[in-house]
Order: sequence, then C-alpha cells, then structure tokens
Amino acid sequence: MAELTYLDAISDGLREEMRRDESVFCLGEDIGAFGGAFKVTDGFIEEFGADRVLDTPLAENLIVGASIGAAVEGMKPVAEMQFSDFISCGFDQLVNVGAKMHYRQGVAVPMVIRLPSGGGFSGGPFHSQNPEAWFLQAPGLKVVAPATADDAKGLLVSAIRDPNPVCYMEHKGLYRRVKGEVPEGDYEVPLGEARIAREGEEMTVIAYGSAVQMALTAAEELDESIEVIDLRTLCPLDDEAILASARKTGKVMVAHEATQSCGVGAEVASLISEHAFEDLDAPVRRLTAPDVPIPFSPPLEQAVLPQPDQVKEAISELLRY
Amino acid sequence: MPQMGVSVAEGTIVEWRKRAGDWVEADETLAVVTTDKVDVEIPAPASGRLERILVEEGDTVDVGTQLAALDSGARPGEAHPEEHREEPAAEPEAAPETAAHTGAGAEEPEAGSNGAPTDELDRSRFYSPVVRRIADKHGIDLDRVEGTGIGGRVRKRDVLAFIESGAAAEAAPAEGAPAAKQLHTESPYIREAGPEPAASPAGDGDARGDEAVMPAPAAEAGAERREPMSIMRQRIAEHMTGSRQTAAHCTTIVEADLSRVVASRRQLKETMAQRGVPLTYLAFVAAATVAELQRHPILNASVDGDEIVYHDDVNLGIAVALDQGLIVPVIKRAQRLSLEGLAAEIGDLAERARSGRLEPDDVHGGTFTITNPGQFGAVLATPIINQPQVAILDLEAVVKRPVVVTDENGNDSISIRPMTYLCMSWDHRALDGAEAARFCADVKQRLERWGG
Repeated sequence: MAELTYLDAISDGLREEMRRDESVFCLGEDIGAFGGAFKVTDGFIEEFGADRVLDTPLAENLIVGASIGAAVEGMKPVAEMQFSDFISCGFDQLVNVGAKMHYRQGVAVPMVIRLPSGGGFSGGPFHSQNPEAWFLQAPGLKVVAPATADDAKGLLVSAIRDPNPVCYMEHKGLYRRVKGEVPEGDYEVPLGEARIAREGEEMTVIAYGSAVQMALTAAEELDESIEVIDLRTLCPLDDEAILASARKTGKVMVAHEATQSCGVGAEVASLISEHAFEDLDAPVRRLTAPDVPIPFSPPLEQAVLPQPDQVKEAISELLRY
Repeated sequence: MPQMGVSVAEGTIVEWRKRAGDWVEADETLAVVTTDKVDVEIPAPASGRLERILVEEGDTVDVGTQLAALDSGARPGEAHPEEHREEPAAEPEAAPETAAHTGAGAEEPEAGSNGAPTDELDRSRFYSPVVRRIADKHGIDLDRVEGTGIGGRVRKRDVLAFIESGAAAEAAPAEGAPAAKQLHTESPYIREAGPEPAASPAGDGDARGDEAVMPAPAAEAGAERREPMSIMRQRIAEHMTGSRQTAAHCTTIVEADLSRVVASRRQLKETMAQRGVPLTYLAFVAAATVAELQRHPILNASVDGDEIVYHDDVNLGIAVALDQGLIVPVIKRAQRLSLEGLAAEIGDLAERARSGRLEPDDVHGGTFTITNPGQFGAVLATPIINQPQVAILDLEAVVKRPVVVTDENGNDSISIRPMTYLCMSWDHRALDGAEAARFCADVKQRLERWGG
C-alpha cells in the first residue's frame, strides 16, 4: 500500500496494465512528450515508447474511431479526452459505432475513454462539464466514476480488462485533493458494484465522483446516522445496493455535480420509487447543479455547483421530513 | 420605482390600480408610472396582499425608491392586517416584497433554506408508504402516534419508537386488527382423524348428560382422554350422520384454472381493502356459483318427500370454522349482490360467526352451501350435503401446477397456472351426474373466463 493522489492512482493503474499487457496502449492529445494536460501520462513515453503512447492530432473523432478499430483488432486502447467536454466531437464514433459494435456484429470493443470532468476552477462552459448522463443513453457503453484514489486505480484496471467500451469519468477537482492508500501491483475493483462509504440508519445519500466526499463531510459534521453510498459504476447501476439502502433507511438523497434533468439522480430516484415505494418515508431528493452551463465567473460558478453547505442543509431537511 | 430604461432616473405615479388591502395576482398591474418618455404599467412581482402604498399618485420619485409593500405570505380572503394596525408606514423590513424589486420575490419558497411556509402546514395526518406499511403490520392506529417530522408528520422513526415503547402491543388487541380480516372457513364434513378421539355416539350413549371427564382405565395400553361433546359438536354429528343417511351422496370434481381470477383479485384487492372489504378467492367462486345456480335451478333446490322444491332466491351458505366446531351463516338473496357485495357479506358473516354475534336468522334458509378448507393445502374433499339442500361445493387450495394449454392455432405448450379443484357433493335423489357435471363445468368456465 502506498499513499497516492487520485491522479497518481490513475497513472499507476494505467502503467501497471501497460506493463502487464502488451496490447494496452494509450493515445490522446499531448499525452506523449508533454505527459498530458494534467500529467496523467507523465513519463509514459520514456518507459513505453512513442508506439504505445500516441500523440494524436486535435481530432476527437479520430481518437475514438482509431481506438475502436484497434480494439476490434485485438488491442486495448486507452484514449484520453483532454477534457470530457470534447467527447462531443467524437460522439458519432462512440455512441453509434463503438457502443453498437457488439450488438451489430458480435465483436468485442475492449477500449477505455478517459474523461477528465467537473468544474470548480473557472474553466467555463467548455472545460467544466460532467457529461456522464449522455453515455447512459447509449446502450453498449459502460460508465464508471471513481471518487477515491483506491477506486481510481481499481476501476481503471477493470475498465481496461472489460470487453466493452468503458467511459472512465475522472473528476479534475479530485486529482490532487483526494489522497488515499492504494494497493500496489495488480488491483481490480469490479464494475457494477457500489460501495457503502459510510453506514447509517436514518437516511441515505447516494453519490459518485466529487459529491461523495461532500456527502461524507456533511455526514460527519451533522453527526447523524447517515449512510453514504458511492455508486462507483454508473452503468450498469448497482440496483441491489441502491434498493437495499433505500429500504433500510426510507429516505434517500442523490447528489451529483452534473446537471439535474435526466441525470443519474433521476434514474436512481425512479428506480427507488418503482421498486422500494413501500419503504419510503420521504420523497427521493436530488441535489445537483441546475440545468445551466457552467459559468466562468467564480462566484457564479460557486452558485451553480453544489456546495458542501447545501449538501448539509439538504440532508438536515430530509432528516427532519 | 423600477429601472425602465438606461437613461431613466425617475418616474411619476399616474395612477394606482390597486388599493391597500387588495389581493393581487402575480403580474397583475399595480400602478401606472410615467417617465419623460412613456407610460409604463408596473406588474406585481408576486401574488399577495398589497399592504401599503408608499408613494401617492402624482408624486415623482427616483428609480429604486420603494413604491409599495406587498405581503406575499398572505392568503386570499384573510383579514387585512391594516385593520388592526395603528401605524401605516415605516418598518420596511416587515414588508417582504417590494414593487421596486421586480421579479426578486417571485420565486417559490419550495425547498432550500426557505422552508418556513411549508413548515407551517399541518401534515400530521399524511403518512408515507413505509409508515403505513409498518402500522398495518403491527396493527397500529396512527392517530395515537405522535409525529415529530415537519408539520407534525409521523416519520418512520416515530412509528418505530412507538412500537419499541410497547404502546403498540397494548393498542393492537383493543383495535381488533381490522385489516387482518382473514376468512377462516371449513367444510361441514366430520374430521375423520381429528386431534380429539372421535367417540361414537353409540359408545357413550349411556353416559349422556354426564358432564364429568371420564378417566381412562389404567389397564389400557397407551393413555387416552375422554371429554363430553359440546352441544355444537353433538349437533354437527347428528346433522352430518343424518345427511349421510338421507341423501344419496355423489361427488363430482372439476379442475379450474384461476389465472384470470388471480389477476383480477390482484387488481381489485387494494381498492376493496381500502373500503374494508377482504377480497378472497372464495368470493369469486361464490359469485360464479350464484350466477350458475340461477341457470341450473335443480342445484338450488331441496327434496321434500316425493317433491322437489325449487327456490327463486339463492341463499348461499358459507361454512365458517370456529374454535369449537363449524357454523354455516347464510347470505340471503345472494343473486342481488356484486362480487364486492358478496365479498363484503362473506367477510361480515365470518367475522360475526367468529365473534359469536350471529342472529338466529343468519343461519337459516340456505339453499346451497360453499365450503373452503383450502388454507391447509388440501386439494380434494368429498363434503357432506347440508340438509335439506341438494348440493355443496367445496373450494380447496389454489396450487400452481404445470398444465397443457392450447393456443388459438392449436399449438400445445406447458404453462404454470394457479389451479384448484372444485369438488361438489350432490344428492342423486334430486339430480343425475350429467346435470351435476354440467353445472360444475359452467362454474369452472365462468371462473376461467373471469372478466372476459
């Protein structure tokens, strides 16, 4: 075990897999000589050479398309979007070609797209989004969103080994802020399994990515019996863990940084009301960003993104309900 | 005074369209203001009561000056606070909305930090699904539970605390658990291997009237115990033996697929339960039977010497098991009742039978009897006819079985269906096997095509 930042844990997982498996390679904009916009692949080109750490043109459609082609040919590409926002340029390849390849032709597409997401640093509307819900509408894709350093490594390794295209959401705000013990060497965290980050009886906060830490802090500060579920995988959702916790506590809040409508929170809330209605003691609540673009202006951005105090307040309100 | 253009610095009130104390809807025009360029209508920023007008008609004030105070927390029809107020002006803090802050107060106080207005609503009688479920399960009268949630709402933790405090246990028997009105009925045939030794009437004929328990002879191998029969037991014994000696018993059995009944019950159960009516399979079978009895009058008849008496009304007897025996209360003129009506009558009679509140009239005049001992899982029985009727229908357990079903194209497949046997004992003096079989088949068909 070594204490690593979330960012180093991603690098560690990727490096381990590239060392272990010759078919794993990475590609993206400025990931080689420059080491990536956020330095995830710093030092990779020295260790693995330019054949396995490919600097690509600024063309996301190419990055995704080339990854699909390589995956179909038996390689395991790990593509980096410099910012998750840019995936929109590669969307056709991703949702129409990559996601449906197995359905249409029975061919496995073992590829990973790393998507640095999230706001909080005045990146504005093109560099701060949390677009995970887009992918949930494209059957054939898996989506993971680690909240801890441990999961950042374990989920990346599992994503690389999975035969399906996996969107790996890495929150930029967690890169250097989150640190934790990460198992060394070969380490997997299974896809599709949520984690109980904190046990409690009175209510449940279901979160992922950056909202997990906010929920945990709020729960600590409120000193109430609050359960926090870290979804970890957004597709496929861990229905069982969600429903078990909802049935136990009867009160659920879903928290995420992404916008509200048709988001993960909406899906989780509807799952609960369909299957755990008789155990509910309160309406399922969502705490999310409103349906607006992320502003550049720091105070406006603060007003848009869910803040720790809001999480605390929403939790207390639901507790009192 | 709102900002009405980049260069506008002041405005003059031309006219107030509303007076202090008036109720105004959001966006309704409060006043007309003139600037050096145009006349502008000032809309209300929110619904509420116009509390005070601060700038009179004809007065000119700077942009940003408060024109009036609007109480958006007021409700239509409420007494106007001005009537009780001495001082009309001042105290701007007391006025939550001002016309100058156009749009600012229009947001709903929905969630967020501003939960105050919602807090004030009395929600003490709103129960969440989980609270209702726990209360049902423990037979708790929720009126007795103190709510500590917002607006006095009873939360899950309140019910759990109530149960833990032991208050629920005290309350439950007093309530008589009306939700759990389970029908417990049995057929009127004598149990052949019951827990009590079946002493034959001939065996202790001499001991009649002797109330004392007779000890078993010590010399006998294996212990035994003798108890006098209760009056009810004696009556049942007489009645059943009498029936056996009187009627020529035959039993016809048909197998029925209750898929549609099961589906219909699932659909109706909740709604009927809310009206206090327990909807059992028995009610469906009773409804089908009553309908077919009207089409097969020979089954709704009695034998009287050399004559057969046909009854116009279907007076349906329902056998109800009691701790000490069995009684058959009768639903009079059952043909006038719907499924829900029958279910309600069955529930009521069974309940009164078990609590000993049947009137003598309730147990007389039956023309046909249904018995339903299926809750123990038995699948077949040959019941004894309740004299002077000519038949008795026995509903046994509903069991899932693999059955062969044929689709409209004649293809066979095996399917899992909720099946039951309908066993009818009938009196061969009054009718023959074909009529009995036809009746049973019609009841079966009615159940299988339920709702269709």
